[in-house]
Amino acid sequence: MSAPLRLAISLLAAGVVASTSAQASAPATTVEVALLQGEQVVHVDRPGSTVRAAVSALLVGPTRAEKAREITSQVPAGTPLRSVSFARGVATVDLGERFAGGRNAESLSARAAQVVLTGTRVPGVRAVRLRVKGGTPLGLFPGVVASHPLTAKDVLAPDLPPPGPPAPSAPRPPSEATRALQQRLADLGYLAPSGVDGRPGPQTTSAVVAFQKWTGLARDGVVGPATQAALAAAARPGPIRPASGRRVEVLLDRQVALLIDGDRVTRVLDVSTGKPGYETPVGSWRVIRKEQRSWSVPYSVWLPWATYFVGGVAFHEYPEVPPIAASHGCVRVPRWDAAWLYSQTPIGTPVTVIASSR
Amino acid sequence: MRALVAGFVVALAVVASGAAAAPPTKVPGELRVGLSMPAAGFQVGAVRGRDVVLAKGLEVDLARLLARRLGITRVRFVNEPFLSTLVRAGKKDWDIALAQITVTPVRAKRVDFSTAYLTADQGVLVRRGLATKPTTIAALRRLQLCAERTSTGGQLIVDRIKPTRKPRLLNNPSSLSYDLFTQRCDAIVFDAPTLAVLQRQAPDRYGPLVGRIVTREKYAIALEKGSPLRPQINAALASVIRSGALKQLRRRWLGTDTSTLRVLR
Repeated sequence: MSAPLRLAISLLAAGVVASTSAQASAPATTVEVALLQGEQVVHVDRPGSTVRAAVSALLVGPTRAEKAREITSQVPAGTPLRSVSFARGVATVDLGERFAGGRNAESLSARAAQVVLTGTRVPGVRAVRLRVKGGTPLGLFPGVVASHPLTAKDVLAPDLPPPGPPAPSAPRPPSEATRALQQRLADLGYLAPSGVDGRPGPQTTSAVVAFQKWTGLARDGVVGPATQAALAAAARPGPIRPASGRRVEVLLDRQVALLIDGDRVTRVLDVSTGKPGYETPVGSWRVIRKEQRSWSVPYSVWLPWATYFVGGVAFHEYPEVPPIAASHGCVRVPRWDAAWLYSQTPIGTPVTVIASSR
Repeated sequence: MRALVAGFVVALAVVASGAAAAPPTKVPGELRVGLSMPAAGFQVGAVRGRDVVLAKGLEVDLARLLARRLGITRVRFVNEPFLSTLVRAGKKDWDIALAQITVTPVRAKRVDFSTAYLTADQGVLVRRGLATKPTTIAALRRLQLCAERTSTGGQLIVDRIKPTRKPRLLNNPSSLSYDLFTQRCDAIVFDAPTLAVLQRQAPDRYGPLVGRIVTREKYAIALEKGSPLRPQINAALASVIRSGALKQLRRRWLGTDTSTLRVLR
């Protein structure tokens, strides 16, 4: 089952339980609005029972309390609702021009998905026909063919396998100097022991970047004199917050994640967290869900080895892990560490997101 | 009748502005522009019937720039679902049409063309997960190829690639990208600049843009055969190019320079 679907069903189940305990036969008094958290859609309840109520609430966006939990929306603030009509299971939602504003492709397709996933949660609504300024959209939402009515399935995970790993580039020749550097990085926890092969490559560079991030050096992945000196003098990092047992700390200021057993940091991982406006939520969380193959509904992207710890926010593999915060709120992990981290963090593992670690 | 109408229009224009040089558009003071949406980067928007209620993209901005150069303040867009309708012979209810229309000898018999505003090749975008990325035309032959029915890409598949499997020729570019995404096509052959924009917008939906087939197509503005507007459109276009405004539009809407892609032979 796909990640968003499972999330949706679990939330739906919770809703059903709540309403049955209240009054089994009463019509729905809340609508479920599709907002975003991390790489996923989260449904939040709002009063109302119609598509109009649901879409109007979507246009208002997250509450202050939801914003504090890094729940966001890609629907532009102030988008007017021109009209809503309903016939034979299809709701037609006509929005103002503002809805199609901007040129950011992922934002445009995410907001279209939000409207569809909000409308189709209203009982009796099978599909949503989107209109902008009274017209049929043609190419306005990249990747979403909105010229015909869209069902939730149309914007959920595709029935396709995720892409395989990239073709390996020709290995560079091994050298003793590289092996010594790798051994030092592995001893300090920055590189997986299996990465010590004497051959330079992206995995070693990423370990150097992780070291530079922890130490506060320029994050260029190059072992220059400053990095060399710091490496010689360095000790293995320790946990920021003392505690017991297996746990993870995500350090937003340093852009690293620490995998910790008791008081020992077993690995320091080079990661990239949420960019400004999409900050990874600070706080103490626990692993709630694991998906070997996860599909980001709003952003149409595969998230392999996803370990969710709050709402739609997860550790996941990603092809690019830049040295700065760049994600939609998730914690990007390089591909050589992603499967391993996944195997080390069972459901219930504590995850602490720390803004300032110095 | 034609002369009479023309005379009437001229009279109206003279009465309206007193300027004898008012551009001879179908409706005085208004430039009506034919489009064929969508084409990522070039023109996307929203339509009610043929009426365009919202449009954006390089060609939309270019049409507005041309109108400004002609001293026309009102621009109205109409959409034709099929490119072939725009380049059919006969009377038009628009003044100019922009839809990445390639100048061909056959088309030039049916409509008039401005000078070119862009030169482009055909690109080949493959589906995600395709095991072997084609690097030659011979390798393309074995794949399930798709293209838009009446486009240069479709023609190229039939005339030059000559695939061993029957190509899927679809009626509009939206179905084309969707069929590539859902893996009903191994590769699509389409205007390289549009494919580059598509790929950049949703990199996880498609495989890579593996290369281009050199066609050196000239995109030009179509006008009704014998349109008196052509000299003024050419002059306005030359001015837009000279000022660097077109280059800016290309950077804004297309980004990638597809002329540096690998050439498939």
